Amino acid sequence: MSSQAIVSLRQLRKSYFRGHIEVPVLDGIDLDIPNASFEALMGPSGSGKTTLLNLIAGIDRPTSGTLTVAGADLSKMNESKLADWRAANIGFIFQSYNLIPVLTAAQNVELPLLLTKLNKKDRSERVRTALRIVGLEERMKHYPRELSGGQEQRVAIARALVSDPTILVADEPTGDLDRKSADEILDLLVQLNEKFGKTIIMVTHDPQAADRAKIKRHLNKGLLE
Amino acid sequence: MNYFALVFKSAFRNRTRSIMTTAGMAVAVLSFLFLRTVVDVWNSGISAAAQDRLATRHKISITMTLPKTHYQKIIDRVPNLSGVTYANWFGAVYPPDEHGFFANFAINGDTYFKVYNELVIPPDQLQAWQEDRAGAVVGPQLAKKYGWKIGDRVTLRGTIYPGDWTFNVRAIYDTTSKSFDKSTFMFHWDYLNDAVSETRKEQIGFLGVRVADPRQGAQVARAIDELFASSDAETLTESERAFNLEFVSMYSAILTAMDVVSIVILLIMTLIVANTIAMGVRERAHEYGVLRAIGFKPKHLLAFVFGESTLIAVLGGCLGIAIAFPVISGFGKVIEDNLSGMFPYFSMNTSTMMIAGGLSLAVGLISAIVPADSNTPTTCAGRLALSSMS
Repeated sequence: MSSQAIVSLRQLRKSYFRGHIEVPVLDGIDLDIPNASFEALMGPSGSGKTTLLNLIAGIDRPTSGTLTVAGADLSKMNESKLADWRAANIGFIFQSYNLIPVLTAAQNVELPLLLTKLNKKDRSERVRTALRIVGLEERMKHYPRELSGGQEQRVAIARALVSDPTILVADEPTGDLDRKSADEILDLLVQLNEKFGKTIIMVTHDPQAADRAKIKRHLNKGLLE
Repeated sequence: MNYFALVFKSAFRNRTRSIMTTAGMAVAVLSFLFLRTVVDVWNSGISAAAQDRLATRHKISITMTLPKTHYQKIIDRVPNLSGVTYANWFGAVYPPDEHGFFANFAINGDTYFKVYNELVIPPDQLQAWQEDRAGAVVGPQLAKKYGWKIGDRVTLRGTIYPGDWTFNVRAIYDTTSKSFDKSTFMFHWDYLNDAVSETRKEQIGFLGVRVADPRQGAQVARAIDELFASSDAETLTESERAFNLEFVSMYSAILTAMDVVSIVILLIMTLIVANTIAMGVRERAHEYGVLRAIGFKPKHLLAFVFGESTLIAVLGGCLGIAIAFPVISGFGKVIEDNLSGMFPYFSMNTSTMMIAGGLSLAVGLISAIVPADSNTPTTCAGRLALSSMS
């Protein structure tokens, strides 16, 4: 791993099995992602970009190869350790926001902090800060159904930020948004990267979204071009 | 927010479904409590039986009579006794209400209330009754039901002893034990004996025997039965508890059926709660994937599922117990007024409520087992793969 790389992949392979048939998805990826980078992963459907994102985020495990993220060799971790590692190091931003509908914006943002040892007061303070960063402090008591798509995604970003993760992974964060809302979200991601130094790895089909990233990478048939 | 708040909000996410399931659980617990109360009260006579009292009857059958001479022989020859009495089951009906059952006995007026001292009569009423050969002592529930007052003349129609029998209500008793029947009708044994045919005279139905030392009960019982072992009227002497048990055992099939039904109801509820939880888990499979991605572990998700299931079941259980109080109390009033011969009292035991509470918790825990181990993938990626992620 290079001295500045927060993500380092070597000969990373991932296959799935459909019955007895092995379906390779990633076919030997070598990749270094520098710290505080803003990377866009692009490629056609089925190219393996979401699979790569899942592996970097510790959601899935490689079939072979090494995978070092934020100083941890993920290929050697069991499920329980991976869960702890994700909680501490990764912030997720999904295409369809994935907020829990019965929780308010503040409660959704607070979810990752339930896994920490912070007391109620400290959790509350962090939630407020995260929502302030995304510009939604005044909507903290609103439920997702009372927010627009763009606002929901901002709450999701606040949830991703609240535990101060090393890396933010975003899977098509603007996929369900109109252009205006998408631009607002991309502005926020750029701000998080430039002002707060967050490493962001974003999967996207949207060329305009990819243009906002510092580095664009293309994946095709399981290999980086 | 805390884990409990998350569980609570998730459990009532589909409000209609959760409320209906909780209400169903409440009804199931109410039914359980009602049935168990019936069984408990039915058995209460057994548990409330006096430790120092025996019952002596004809060895062959309770329906066969014993010679009255047995009474004096027991007094004269059996040691360690503190009281002996006798009585006959009269079995009459009250003509205006021929289907309204109540116990009625011809009793030895001098000794009966000494041996069965749970029955308490005001001294002036007791004296008035003892001075009137046709006098009757009635239970308060019976008096209330038929509107009888002290001084009323009451006619019963005999079934075992045919004919119309007229009595004067001279006393209304009370009881020191809630298990004692409050609707019994008692009159002088001599009044019966004077009126029956020669072949039926000087015959008694059973004896009540009080032992001086309860620890000597078995020996006294043996001594009584040995006394008449060679006679034409052999006796069977047993504890009051065993004697009462014989009556209850006649209905054992019904009681067993009630016991079984009360459990079956809760088993059905377990399946219903399990289905409700399973539907919720299926609907939220993707959400669980997101929680796993954030860092929640399988044990957290298991705790959420068990928490939701237990919450619904316990809430339903508590609601059922709360509703049971006025419902069983209301029914109890009706039952005590009309069926006090079988149910001298009808109220829930604390232990029955606690069993209901415990079973509610068990329903919640058992219901969660299958949904918690549902067929959605347990790995993080597997759960998220069910979603609309690209």
